[in-house]
Amino acid sequence: MKGERTFREKGGFEMDISMKAGAEKKPFKFIDIPDIVTICLQQHIGKPNHPIVKEGDMVKTGQKIGDAKCRMVVPIHSSVTGYVEDLKEVYNPVLNRKEKAVIIRRDGNDEMKYLPEYDLDRRKEIVKMVKEAGIVGLGGAAFPTHVKLSSQGIKKLVINAKESDPNLVCDVRLMIDKPAEIVKGIKLMARSLDTDEIIFATRTEEGQIPELERIMKEHGIKVVRVRPSYSVGAEKLLIKEMFGIEVPSGKFPPDVGVVVNNVSTAYAVYRAAYKKEPLLSRGASFYSDLTGIENIWFRNGTSIRQVIEGLGLDIDRFDRIVIGSLMMGWSVGSSDAPLLKYSAGVTALTPEYSKPYEKQLPCIRCGYCDLVCPVDIYPSLIMKAEKADDVKALKRYNVLDCIECSLCSYVCPSQIKLTKHLWQGKNKVNK
Amino acid sequence: MKIAGRLKKEKPPHLHSGFTKNELMLKTFLFMCIIGFASIIVMGADAFVHILVALGTALVVHATINSYQTWKGVEPTYSSPASVLVAGMIVALAMPIASPFEITAGVSLLTVLVFKYGQGRFFKRKYLNPAAAAKVLLLGLLSVMYIIEEPLKEGMIFHPHHYDYNFMSAEGFEASMWIFSRESIFGAELSATQSLLFWQTHGWIGGGSSIVVLIVGIVAAYLLKYKWRIIVSTILTMTVLSAAIGLYLGCDPILRIAFHVFTGSVIFFTFFMATEPQTTPMTHGGQYAFGVCLAILTFVLQLYNVLGGSIIALVLLNIFTDKFDLLLIKKPFGHGKEVRT
Ligand code: SF4
Ligand code: SF4
Repeated sequence: MKGERTFREKGGFEMDISMKAGAEKKPFKFIDIPDIVTICLQQHIGKPNHPIVKEGDMVKTGQKIGDAKCRMVVPIHSSVTGYVEDLKEVYNPVLNRKEKAVIIRRDGNDEMKYLPEYDLDRRKEIVKMVKEAGIVGLGGAAFPTHVKLSSQGIKKLVINAKESDPNLVCDVRLMIDKPAEIVKGIKLMARSLDTDEIIFATRTEEGQIPELERIMKEHGIKVVRVRPSYSVGAEKLLIKEMFGIEVPSGKFPPDVGVVVNNVSTAYAVYRAAYKKEPLLSRGASFYSDLTGIENIWFRNGTSIRQVIEGLGLDIDRFDRIVIGSLMMGWSVGSSDAPLLKYSAGVTALTPEYSKPYEKQLPCIRCGYCDLVCPVDIYPSLIMKAEKADDVKALKRYNVLDCIECSLCSYVCPSQIKLTKHLWQGKNKVNK
Repeated sequence: MKIAGRLKKEKPPHLHSGFTKNELMLKTFLFMCIIGFASIIVMGADAFVHILVALGTALVVHATINSYQTWKGVEPTYSSPASVLVAGMIVALAMPIASPFEITAGVSLLTVLVFKYGQGRFFKRKYLNPAAAAKVLLLGLLSVMYIIEEPLKEGMIFHPHHYDYNFMSAEGFEASMWIFSRESIFGAELSATQSLLFWQTHGWIGGGSSIVVLIVGIVAAYLLKYKWRIIVSTILTMTVLSAAIGLYLGCDPILRIAFHVFTGSVIFFTFFMATEPQTTPMTHGGQYAFGVCLAILTFVLQLYNVLGGSIIALVLLNIFTDKFDLLLIKKPFGHGKEVRT
């Protein structure tokens, strides 16, 4: 990946990833702990959390502030020390809807409430620790990690370090900074799954991160260099690429004996196990067309404004801010929106950036979107069916198999945002 | 300056490949210019005039509509003339060199005004290939006058003297090949097969040199990602049908293939008209089926001496494009394939 400038996608299309080139060399910039944090109560896929603090309560850094008795719930912790100023609905920038949040004002201290001791030799204890630490998939999916780690009959653990999004390099930076810690986290994950077969999927070149490679070798972790492609970063497609196994539609990787976890998640597991820290902060990549990529480290609940101003930039220069992937994330309506556990990226764009590609033209039926689609569906025909409310056609063209990667919109010469129709099509079928 | 904290909410993605419709059209036009240039070398100044007439007419129609829309305060339908240039060039290259210039101008006018702007305006999208539909309409009308003295001069589809040839017998077919055997390049005599492949001084302007069309077509289809399944299935089906009939009737199968695939030029039509995006199927299975049907229909019309048979076949099939989209839908990822663990 040294100096890599393009990804190659299905149908021979290329994706410009020049913004990534060399950015992994930039160290993490720590964003100052803000005076006030907004912590959304649901930062995972699954059932919602309930607040377990009330207005005026004093909380420590790492103290649990939201939880619920359900397997598909991941507790949430305060990322600062201070008092609960408010409990109110705020805009969740990833789910693109309002969610309950806890507003905490700092008192100037940073007093830590550590996790209890867990017996790391016992599989169930590791899973319990991962849940109590509030760890979710940090690649952007936010799937509860403890649910993945409690899967049975797993033969392979894949660590996804491919970081396919064009605006993200924070995982590679973390691999440079914390190789030993990442490997420790990976070993714990493997122990909880009771598997010895660990595959580290990366697009870094051999010799690029020698320390990590040496430690991996020592621990018998197989490094697989995956071809440079954006779509191959998706879990199911990565499995197909590496093992030739096609995860059946509607099923998940554990159904074929594979668990995929992100490299940053492995580091979060390490911190929970050996530092007794819940998931409170993370590394991410900040990109703007003015500065290029910067790697940042922020506390959960820090606002976008605090990040941008913390980097010394004038927020009024930008008119579009995207959380997460530039390909898959919505842009947010307010710079006061908070960053979440699984916000791997923040992008701030000036009005000039998108001007040339703002106008959507009618579909010319060129078929580019069909050619590039990594799951072999027909986005343009789905769009037509969705506009006509034709649920039968939506099913015929398998709308539910769309992985929402946005490649179809990326290549569309008429600049049509097909993704919107794919979501709406899915909703119409699921109704 | 915007109000601090208020930002534009946009759906993903926030990146674009940068390749736009206008670029696609402009590059297609440039590829066709190479074919046009080859045809001018083979066919002479008349080919050049036809191209100028077709392009000029198309541009005048476009400029007039564009100015009218601007004057009315309506956003112009086409911000750039690129797709109009493509339409004009297709018209030029799909006209017989013997056609009168005013017929070329008429086809170009109909193509841009009625079948490009008109179809888009009234049906929200194009259902019929504009150049093909215009040619069928105009030449069809003219063909009604098949009783007139000098029909070729009227740019007719049905050339009465072609009825003398019987393509259903080996003798009839071979007798008709004299047209191609007359060709020579810089004094060197060409066989009918060589002429069909390299140097045709009559027929469609776009078919001046089939080999040039073939090379340019393959490069354009690869680089610009035309619907190649239509191209492949059309050419393969035509080849199989012509070889089969050649063998069955006892004539030279190679000559038979060369005739059916390259006369016209069917080859220009296959690469640049049969793949017109809006009027052709989207599903891959539908594209294969479309190509096969197109080849069969074209072949049958050729056997009956219907000049421009491929164009008639295309317009007929365009009507059923949406039906082709229901055929052979590929299985998506994760469906019906064996899972190995
Ligand atoms: S890429 Fe765009 S223009 Fe082409 S078929 Fe798909 S939606 Fe239509
Ligand atoms: S967003 Fe859906 S339809 Fe579009 S390319 Fe990705 S998987 Fe295919």
